[in-house]
Amino acid sequence: MDNMILEKDPILSEDILNIDESEFKLRKKDDIIYDAKFEGEAISYGRDVWNRFKADKVTVVATTFIVIIIIMAIIGPHLSKFTYIEQNLEHAYLPPRIPGLEKIGIFDGTKVITIQKKNLENYQDCLLKVIREYSMSTRTGETTMLDIEIDVYKQKGAEDVYHWFGTDSLGRDLFARLWQGTRISLILAFAVVLINLTIGLVVGAVAGYYGGWIDIIIQRALEIINSIPQLPLTLILIMWFGSGILPLIIVFVLTGWVGISSSVRVQFYRYKNREYVLASRTMGAKDSRIMYKYILPNAAGTIITSCALSVPSVIFQEAGLSYLGLGIQAPNPSIGQLLSDGQKVLLDYPHLLLFPALVIVLLMLAFNLLGNGLRDAFNPSLRQ
Amino acid sequence: MTKYIIQRLIAAAFAFIIIIAVCFFVLYSMPGSIISNPTIKDETVIKKIEEKYHLNEPLPVQFGYFIKDYMNFDFGESLVVRPGVKVFDVIKERINVTIQLNVFSALFTLPIGMFFGITMALKKDSVYDYICSSIVILVISAPSFVIAAVLQYFLAYKLGWFPLTLAPIVELNWEKFYSMILPIFAMSFGSIASISRMLRAELSEVLTSDYMLLAKAKGLTYSQTIVRHALRNACVPLASTFLYLFVWVISSSLVIENIFGVPGLSKVLVSAINARDHQLTLGVTYFYTLIGLLMAIAADLSYGVVDPRIRMGAKKDG
Repeated sequence: MDNMILEKDPILSEDILNIDESEFKLRKKDDIIYDAKFEGEAISYGRDVWNRFKADKVTVVATTFIVIIIIMAIIGPHLSKFTYIEQNLEHAYLPPRIPGLEKIGIFDGTKVITIQKKNLENYQDCLLKVIREYSMSTRTGETTMLDIEIDVYKQKGAEDVYHWFGTDSLGRDLFARLWQGTRISLILAFAVVLINLTIGLVVGAVAGYYGGWIDIIIQRALEIINSIPQLPLTLILIMWFGSGILPLIIVFVLTGWVGISSSVRVQFYRYKNREYVLASRTMGAKDSRIMYKYILPNAAGTIITSCALSVPSVIFQEAGLSYLGLGIQAPNPSIGQLLSDGQKVLLDYPHLLLFPALVIVLLMLAFNLLGNGLRDAFNPSLRQ
Repeated sequence: MTKYIIQRLIAAAFAFIIIIAVCFFVLYSMPGSIISNPTIKDETVIKKIEEKYHLNEPLPVQFGYFIKDYMNFDFGESLVVRPGVKVFDVIKERINVTIQLNVFSALFTLPIGMFFGITMALKKDSVYDYICSSIVILVISAPSFVIAAVLQYFLAYKLGWFPLTLAPIVELNWEKFYSMILPIFAMSFGSIASISRMLRAELSEVLTSDYMLLAKAKGLTYSQTIVRHALRNACVPLASTFLYLFVWVISSSLVIENIFGVPGLSKVLVSAINARDHQLTLGVTYFYTLIGLLMAIAADLSYGVVDPRIRMGAKKDG
């Protein structure tokens, strides 16, 4: 091609062909290169993700909360002087009392109750103050009622005891129980997510990568699993397996892997025909190597995000089942169990619901925010 | 379109039979049976029941009888939970309050969710948006039963504005509706938050697209561009999200019903399973599955109704 042009263009060809060899000389070696030098360092994808993750304050705060809750779930049950199954019926339903905070008037172990005036002497030793006095008409006539504030710890003979979050109906320490419950709920959630991830990854990868009839069969099966009504299925399975951590894991895994598997499938489907995948296949890479080394890293962001988001949903579902008496079995607490116990006596002893509710809301909020933050961090189009 | 609907219906019917079969075999192969109920002692009664429900036959044969009955819309009778009452009647009686709660909460959810979603997207990155977004993420993170408990404690117990539990009245009058407000609130907050989050994301994406610029360029007013071009496109996924939320709320309202003492359908289901009242369990499961499958089809079709570009199936070969 080049020769043809040279031949057609006699002037040029003459010029070029007749250059003397002495006119050639090595340049570049000692010359200044005028290209601009690369400023800064090359940033890998992982580094880039980490930078965006760090830059988002909300995500960092959420992660801090998750870490704190996990640490508390590990050491919390041992911080309290009481174990989570230690019962003391005489100290039942003690309100929270925290050393230090009690001096400023909150969590000081006091409680406002309503009594008839004639019963006042029963409360003489623990009475702090009378808030108001009023009369109420009953069937037997007018009765004088009193709203009084009492020191429950004094009333139950537990003056030198501090239950930081109070005690439940059997006199068990709520602080120890709460963190033990958090521990169990977290173990359950992480186990379920891990198993879901494994199954979902394998099934989704196979369906998305190989396609064809394998994909069609898997898709139809997933559709059927997805349209099973969750509630009856869960109930029947729990009746079948009994309730406990292991049966609950089975119940959550049975339908839970479907979501992860379909998101993995989409990613594999999208990337399997890219040029670089084709290139490595041409060079003789095995399917497993292509899947693991070249496609999976692309899907990692989506997968990690959906895992982070499914942790709170497992905790939430377990709590829902606990409300129906189908969750983790006593005496082991879970957050859901504590919530449902607290719900039963909500009007009289709100502290039993307050602390578990706070922990579950914090935990779910933190995981949701972390999930959102991860989604942004893994999105390269948000690179600054 | 018709072809697509028929295809979907056949697939759904197939899924339906599989689900019912699985439920049947799991239930009937569970240890213990209806007869192990200690309240039934009479030998002849036990014989009669065994005969009536073919309990001495192998399971597949029983399944044959079962399917034959269901084909004739005979759902059998409840044995333990409501002895002698037709399963269909039990469902009919209990479904009322569940449906009422769900419909009211849907009516409450949709306009409010849409309002917040739209205003948040239009005022994106303003203080209003930040405040609403924080509330939305908080509400999504708080389990519905925690919201229910908080509402019950503060609004009903401390302030006394609403009754603590549902009024035990059958017909729907003002007093009943009044006592339904708190459960409706508890059920809708989560859905409101999800709808506004979704709508905000959709609408703010639409607002930056090229055709919005074109609409502005050809001289439409701001409100015209929003109503005619942006909203219509942002609402495409709304219908299906809403239908899915509706199904989700129906099946997850159990805890809320429990807290507010609502005699709903899910309560029957739990007691039926506990009492091994298999006929009733299967009847209720049948009902839940039916609603779930039909809603899933409706959700898929709704895309085509809202957005003329997505008329799948019909254009498969051209």
